[in-house]
Amino acid sequence: MNQPFAPVTIAMIEDDEGHARLIEKNIRRAGISNEIVPLKDGASALAFLLGPDGSGEVNVGRRLLILLDLNLPDMTGVDILAKVKANAHLKRTPVVVLTTTDDSREIKTCYDLGANVYVIKPLDYDGFADAIRKLGLFFSVVQVSEND
Amino acid sequence: MPSARSILAPSILLLAVGFSALLGIVAMTFWLGERSQAVFQEVIAARDARTATVELRSALVSAETSQRGYLLTGNQIYLAPLATSRARISDELEKVASAFAAEARLQPALARLRAIVREKLEETDRTIALKREGQDEEAAAIVRTNRGKALTDEANVFLTGMIRSVDARLIAAVADQTRIADLLRQATLAGFALIVAVVGLVAWIVVRYTRALQAANREVLAFNETLEQRVRDRTADLARANDEIQRFAYIVTHDLRAPLVNIMGFTGEVESGIASLRKAMDDAAAGRGDAASTLEARAALDADLPEAIGFIRSSTRKMDGLISAILKLSREGRRRLRPEPILLKESVEAALAALRHQLEEADGEATVTIAGDGIVSDRMALDQVLGNLLDNAVKYRVRGRPLRIAVTVAPLDDGHVEIAIADNGRGIAEGDHERVFEPFRRAGIIDTPGEGIGLTHVRTIVRNLGGDIALTSAMDVGTTFRIVLPRRLDVAEGPAA
Repeated sequence: MNQPFAPVTIAMIEDDEGHARLIEKNIRRAGISNEIVPLKDGASALAFLLGPDGSGEVNVGRRLLILLDLNLPDMTGVDILAKVKANAHLKRTPVVVLTTTDDSREIKTCYDLGANVYVIKPLDYDGFADAIRKLGLFFSVVQVSEND
Repeated sequence: MPSARSILAPSILLLAVGFSALLGIVAMTFWLGERSQAVFQEVIAARDARTATVELRSALVSAETSQRGYLLTGNQIYLAPLATSRARISDELEKVASAFAAEARLQPALARLRAIVREKLEETDRTIALKREGQDEEAAAIVRTNRGKALTDEANVFLTGMIRSVDARLIAAVADQTRIADLLRQATLAGFALIVAVVGLVAWIVVRYTRALQAANREVLAFNETLEQRVRDRTADLARANDEIQRFAYIVTHDLRAPLVNIMGFTGEVESGIASLRKAMDDAAAGRGDAASTLEARAALDADLPEAIGFIRSSTRKMDGLISAILKLSREGRRRLRPEPILLKESVEAALAALRHQLEEADGEATVTIAGDGIVSDRMALDQVLGNLLDNAVKYRVRGRPLRIAVTVAPLDDGHVEIAIADNGRGIAEGDHERVFEPFRRAGIIDTPGEGIGLTHVRTIVRNLGGDIALTSAMDVGTTFRIVLPRRLDVAEGPAA
């Protein structure tokens, strides 16, 4: 892979282990070899993103891309999105919402909060794999700035 | 509300009484008028009889005066009125006879009177005839016998008696007339009083009926107003229930879709694993098996295929779990409630006793404060609610801090009772206060096993019992669940399943 993309870390916030595994497999199949940090629930996701002090300073100087599921057991992905976009250090981090929820109000809410892409998990496998591969393609061209 | 019948029957009765009184007065007046007429006729007859009697007396006197004048003077001039008097005497005598014909006791007196008059007239005729023949001495001798004067005196006695009798009749008739007038006046007054009473009673009934109608009208208006309020409340309840059902359906479909995505996805992985196996087999059979394809097949066989099958299996189990949980909720909604008298003190203590070991482990202590105990509700449902909430208090305590649970039962003024269960646990974040009641959702750090169905179940039960549940919480301080239940569970009014 070309170097500008190499240091980007993908934070995958997904509670369903199966989904996480399928996403990872298909991202790899698309030729993306970036580090993927799996985060299983909202609490650990916030801990990773904002750090133990909740300020987000822990990720300063890092290139992050967030893959976010909305249906988490302990909180909604919308809450995490809002916190990320409200954080001074994280607000420019690209967020890809990848979820089963196709409710138009929820999609609108996500974009209003600053989500960059909203992808609905397709029920058929080919569609799912295809969507993830396209996402990989997207990852390979998207420019991610360092957090400051 | 007064019925039309309740006023109709007494009103008709009273009007009938009033009309009868009027009819009575009219009949009485008519009858008294007839009586008065009869009395009047009697008075006229008595007056005629009196007149005739007086006339007869006067004619007799006049005849005697003529006789005496002639006998004294021999002058023909005195005889002139005699002829007239004779005619008057016979005339008036007949009148008197007919006037007193109805009085049997007077008939002998009348006969005697006739005889006296006849004899007196004969004496008069004889004396006048003797005087005219010049036999003055014989005439004077007849007069001197005083027979004529005695006859006249006797006639006078009879006539005077008759006049007295007629006078008595007149006085009686007048008294009769007075009595009739009195009767008429009294009857009229009585009738008037009766009619006034009837009219007053009818007016009172009408006024009372009108007032009752007004009161009923006011009641209907008031009822309409509360009805509107009740309809608004019900509509709000229904809207809330509808929102919850939609939210529930939304959550359920999406939560069911998640394992489905896994099943579809890993089925695809199984297919690709089988494809690499087939390729390796085919290569080996064709004698061109190389290390790469064998290695790939080996990886598929050892890692990818078991992993995919594992995920398919766990996802299927998860779906089964979700469906079971949904069925449980649906069954709770359909369960037939059996209201019975319950002492909340006993129920709370039983629920705490079931948790004694966990409480001891958590160095826990529970206080129970009960006021206004004794409700009618479904025991099994109530036990599930209390058990679930107390179980949560133990589950979500702060490790290393002695657990404190306070259960408080207090009566509310509108036929409801409040059960508050307060803990000193880790609390629920502000944004999750509604979310914790949604199915398959949990809040905070997931450090204990669970499906995320407990509070959904609790709320379903409480709503079924005609109540509601709410919570207040402060992070790291504790949570208080407040259940409001009706004092008497009305099964008929309970929400339909």
